[in-house]
Amino acid sequence: MTARIRAPLDFAPDDLDRPFWEACRRHEFLLQRSRATGRFYWPAVCDPESGREGMEWVRASGRGVVHTFSIIHQPFRRDLAQRVPYNIVVVELEEGPFFHANVVDCPNEAVHIGMPVEVVFDDVTDEVTLPRFRPQRR
Amino acid sequence: MSSRAKSCAIVGFGVTQQGRQLGIPERELRREALERALADAGLRRADIDGYIACHGGVAFEDLRYLGLGPLFSWSLASGGATAISALIVARGVLALGQARHVALCYGFAPSLFRSGEGLGGYGYGYPELYGMVGPATSHALHAQRHMHLYGTTSEQLGAVAVTQRAYAVTRPGTLGYGKPITLDDHQRSRMICEPLRLLDCCRDTDGGVCVIVTTAERARDLRSRPVRVLGTGTGHNIRNWYDKSVYAHHDDIAPAKTRAFGEAGLELDAVDVAALYDPFTISVIMQLEEYGFCAAGEGGPFVAAGETGPGGRIPTNTGGGQLSGYYATGFTAMVEAILQLRGDAGATQVEGAEIALVSGHGGNGGVQNTWAHATALLVASL
Repeated sequence: MTARIRAPLDFAPDDLDRPFWEACRRHEFLLQRSRATGRFYWPAVCDPESGREGMEWVRASGRGVVHTFSIIHQPFRRDLAQRVPYNIVVVELEEGPFFHANVVDCPNEAVHIGMPVEVVFDDVTDEVTLPRFRPQRR
Repeated sequence: MSSRAKSCAIVGFGVTQQGRQLGIPERELRREALERALADAGLRRADIDGYIACHGGVAFEDLRYLGLGPLFSWSLASGGATAISALIVARGVLALGQARHVALCYGFAPSLFRSGEGLGGYGYGYPELYGMVGPATSHALHAQRHMHLYGTTSEQLGAVAVTQRAYAVTRPGTLGYGKPITLDDHQRSRMICEPLRLLDCCRDTDGGVCVIVTTAERARDLRSRPVRVLGTGTGHNIRNWYDKSVYAHHDDIAPAKTRAFGEAGLELDAVDVAALYDPFTISVIMQLEEYGFCAAGEGGPFVAAGETGPGGRIPTNTGGGQLSGYYATGFTAMVEAILQLRGDAGATQVEGAEIALVSGHGGNGGVQNTWAHATALLVASL
């Protein structure tokens, strides 16, 4: 079990993913790619094919479609009581990986599977920027 | 290694009171479970030369409290797959002659550490940053996708809850004992995380379980009624995360199922009763499909038609499961299979049940639905 992450105040990313989160602060959306297979991964991994040295971080489109979602009504943590109801989506990114996030600029009732979305950066604190997604405009 | 050498049997089991807010410390739950299992098996403490703690804690800390002096004391934590995973370890230990009687011991009292922070989960990745906490949402994501692909309905999820509650109603000691529910009750229960309602979710409970495993040969000398292990297998969802089929399946069931049935030399139609890990209603529907009791997408109609109920094609979770029985992190299913194969399942006994399928999965809360899946096939004779 990894350290608990309770956004955003005690956010402590895994070292493997640090380049991703640093890029988010610059409002850049990166993904990790295997040089050996060209496959993209999220979260970062030691490539099952070529090992850790075979991985590189590259700019990604930040676009994808909602693969599945849920609207959360039960505050599973005390600090979420003010937030319910809110959505959780799994975005299938254009490059391949799934990414768990929220859809913003969209009522919960309009969130649906197959919905095209694009990344938008939310500067939650001076140190932490969270990528979220909104309905595609382009 | 000959199949005879690999053959092992469950010769004793003990189940403590199971319920909410018991106020009993976890190690005491394990001690009580061990006492009952020893009595059931007709063994003494000194006979236990292998100990596997199935609660994720530090195994050797248990020994003085339990009064055990085994040759090894290990801790195994794989969430709801822990019970079967520990059974697999015990099989290996027994086959290699490293021990004669292995106790798998579980005792958990979530009510004693509840703080309002919730149970959380195995955080892989960053879903918790976005407000995804615990296993319910993980399973809701599966349910939503299943509905999208196959038209599965909330009423069909409700059929799982109602069917299992009907089993629990006649089973003393379960959460659902004497408390029937209807589909209307399910539909009126409040939304937790769409599409899962309150009655789609199991509740955690306090309780202890101990299972004692020995070789089939040794089992012949004991007075208890043995249940032999025919086959086991495991799978891990990280493979499905990598290839993005994680939402097409519930878990990585295919390799677990293939290995277990292959080892047992059985086809699915040999199974008389199923005990499937069921933290949420969708888990039963998707496992029925993955194991092949019905085709992909037909799990909802299959349950709604009564096929998992009494007299159905595959009576499933006949003690109420976790949804309406009690939550013993994977031991709920194993215990129900033992009861059925011994003919001790009371009002919900499946006539002539000889072969049981048991499943477990565990490790929720991160990007995965669950990480581990484990399968066991048990038979009512040596």
